[in-house]
Amino acid sequence: MRSSRRHRFVGQFDNAMEILYRVYVAAFFGAIAFAVLAGIVHDAGVGAEAADEIAGKGPALLGAGVALAALAGLRSGARGGPLAIEDAEVQYLLLAPVDRGMALRPGALRQMRAGAFAGAVLGAVAGNFAFRRLPGSPVEWFACLALFGALIPLSTLSCALMASGRRLRPTVASALGVILLAWSLVDILLGLKTSPATMLGILATLPLQDGASLALAVTGVAVAVATICLGLAWLSGLSLEAARRRATLTDQIRFSASVQDLRAVVLLRRQLAAEMPRRRPWVRLRAPVLAQWPIPRRAGQSFLRWPASRLVRSLAVGVAAGALVVGAWSGTTPLVALAGVVLLLPAFDVVEPLAQEVDHPLRRDLLPVKPETLMLRHLVAPAIAMCLVVLAGVIAATALGGSGTALEVGAVMVVPTAFVLLCCAAISTTNDPYQYVLTPYLGYAQTALPILVALVAVAAPVLVAREVSRYGGSPEGAVVGVEVAVLLAAAALAFWLGARVAARTAVKP
Amino acid sequence: MSSRPERSGAAPVLVGRDLSREYGDFLALDSLQVDLLPGQLVALVGPNGAGKTTFLTIAAGLLEPTAGTLEVEGAAAGSIGARGVVSYLPDTPVFYDDLSLGEHLEYVAALHGVSDDGARSRQLLERLGLSDWGDSLPSEFSHGMRQKASIALALVRPFSLLLADEPFDGLDPPSRDVLFQLFAEAREAGAAIVVSTHRRDVVGSADRCLALRDGKLAYDGPPDAEALAEYFELSSRPGSVLPPA
Repeated sequence: MRSSRRHRFVGQFDNAMEILYRVYVAAFFGAIAFAVLAGIVHDAGVGAEAADEIAGKGPALLGAGVALAALAGLRSGARGGPLAIEDAEVQYLLLAPVDRGMALRPGALRQMRAGAFAGAVLGAVAGNFAFRRLPGSPVEWFACLALFGALIPLSTLSCALMASGRRLRPTVASALGVILLAWSLVDILLGLKTSPATMLGILATLPLQDGASLALAVTGVAVAVATICLGLAWLSGLSLEAARRRATLTDQIRFSASVQDLRAVVLLRRQLAAEMPRRRPWVRLRAPVLAQWPIPRRAGQSFLRWPASRLVRSLAVGVAAGALVVGAWSGTTPLVALAGVVLLLPAFDVVEPLAQEVDHPLRRDLLPVKPETLMLRHLVAPAIAMCLVVLAGVIAATALGGSGTALEVGAVMVVPTAFVLLCCAAISTTNDPYQYVLTPYLGYAQTALPILVALVAVAAPVLVAREVSRYGGSPEGAVVGVEVAVLLAAAALAFWLGARVAARTAVKP
Repeated sequence: MSSRPERSGAAPVLVGRDLSREYGDFLALDSLQVDLLPGQLVALVGPNGAGKTTFLTIAAGLLEPTAGTLEVEGAAAGSIGARGVVSYLPDTPVFYDDLSLGEHLEYVAALHGVSDDGARSRQLLERLGLSDWGDSLPSEFSHGMRQKASIALALVRPFSLLLADEPFDGLDPPSRDVLFQLFAEAREAGAAIVVSTHRRDVVGSADRCLALRDGKLAYDGPPDAEALAEYFELSSRPGSVLPPA
């Protein structure tokens, strides 16, 4: 009965599922292309000293990443995640006198299977990079990193299942996650391997480790497996109220993703994560501050209501982008492609005041300001906020790179990079997902364009600076020329943004 | 409510000529001719789908007419000049997600050039019973509070023409009285007010009533009970004015 219902349900969403399938296939082949690219660029191998350093510090650093994923899982579970149950399933199946564990386990296992597969593929791709630059056989690297990659989503989902099954309060779940993260940070600072997350990190670097570390890696895997078992055992305790709320939102997110409506995905994800504006701002803007510039002042008021999680996430992404650039600078070239893409995430957050005007055309069209002017003025305060995010990346790159070059090149990059990323996010926010519904390939191009521009705008100056530096030139001087082109591209995007919003205004006197 | 500060002989604040609007095959407004004078309180009545909201949104500059023209103080509806003098109170309140009510008021007032250090905002919040809610996000408000917040946003800025779409819906009786007072003050200041409504007490307090039916102007005159009986299912009493509810 359930199977036939599922078939019928899936049949209704043929088109949406086809689009999702295409995204899935594109991601799969994209990962393979990424791996092949790594082979083509012939990144240089690292020396024995660097390999020793990776063997020593790598597990704890990777463990911190695992702990962060566990923290995210625990928080998601405390809000009713990770299962997305149909409303009718809640109404008829979960309210029926049947064991809820039995009813929910197949769905949970399906979700785990998909997560493990995706993680294993990404792990194998990382293995493809690793064996080219580090000692160890390709088979060892593929196996260890694929297993590590599969265990991360499994552990994350299990943590979420445990938190939702035990109905942990969000504060308790966050506290547990923070403790786990702090344990990993202690391992990093003291050079220890005591945290279970660090032990999983040992698995990821096993080809570099000595024989004694194998036991620790096995312990890490055992802890992960125990987590999975506990998650599956406790899942029947989930709150129906949270499950119903989540069911509606996840359905909407899937639909928005299938029509490439990124703005709707951002908004729905915030609702799913209960990431609402703070009731009390961090600081209240006094009346005279920016009184002559109401639009930047309005943006400032919006930023001062950001929840702590969004602030931390934006700065963390900036730091991660800095680390990716350092990785690209030191030899793993494809990492630079990720830096631009990840920096788009905070850009989607800082562009919020402008996006609010786009979301509420009635309010926007009643204001006595031309739409082009309104949009351009709405870029000012977010550009400053985005500069801070990029600056966090520059500081991280300087700290990790250990040379002044990163700071000098980064200083040239901050403003143009922040501005172009912001414009990309603004353009993406104003995309109409239904404009090209009859010509879907134009729709895909519309979605991809801002992402591609962001990718190139971050990658081009870094790669130019790296090559100039290798040949003994001045990287800062070379970057200035590239950044002028980036600024011009950003200006063109800003002009397009204004013209696009003006064209959508209902009345054009 | 019976004071009539309308300026006879003054230039009309709104002039609509041959105003039509089609939605596909459906004719929502059909060659409407309308002039509104400063200080008038005009009740816009008619059955559902008669074209009331279409007329208000065209006047607010949110919708383009298919044919005809509409000017507010000589400026085409929707132009920057018109937006500076027209205030629109929609039937469904609209708020930004990331600003408190106080911040909404401050933003709208600033963009309309109000520089009174928030005095008007505070006064409106107090009169509408929202003084304690200025720092709250509108997403936390009840239906009635959202309506009152929307009223405050429409009145915090200067205007010559206020277009209000079902403004009394969801308001408790004391808040309705406050809104009547606020309308009276706006008229005293010379503003014309158009209120789309199904309420008899609102029609009874108006200077003039425009009744729309199938997009056409079916009645334009004083709020006469007999003439308007069909819109309110009243038993007509010859010579009487529509009684308050």
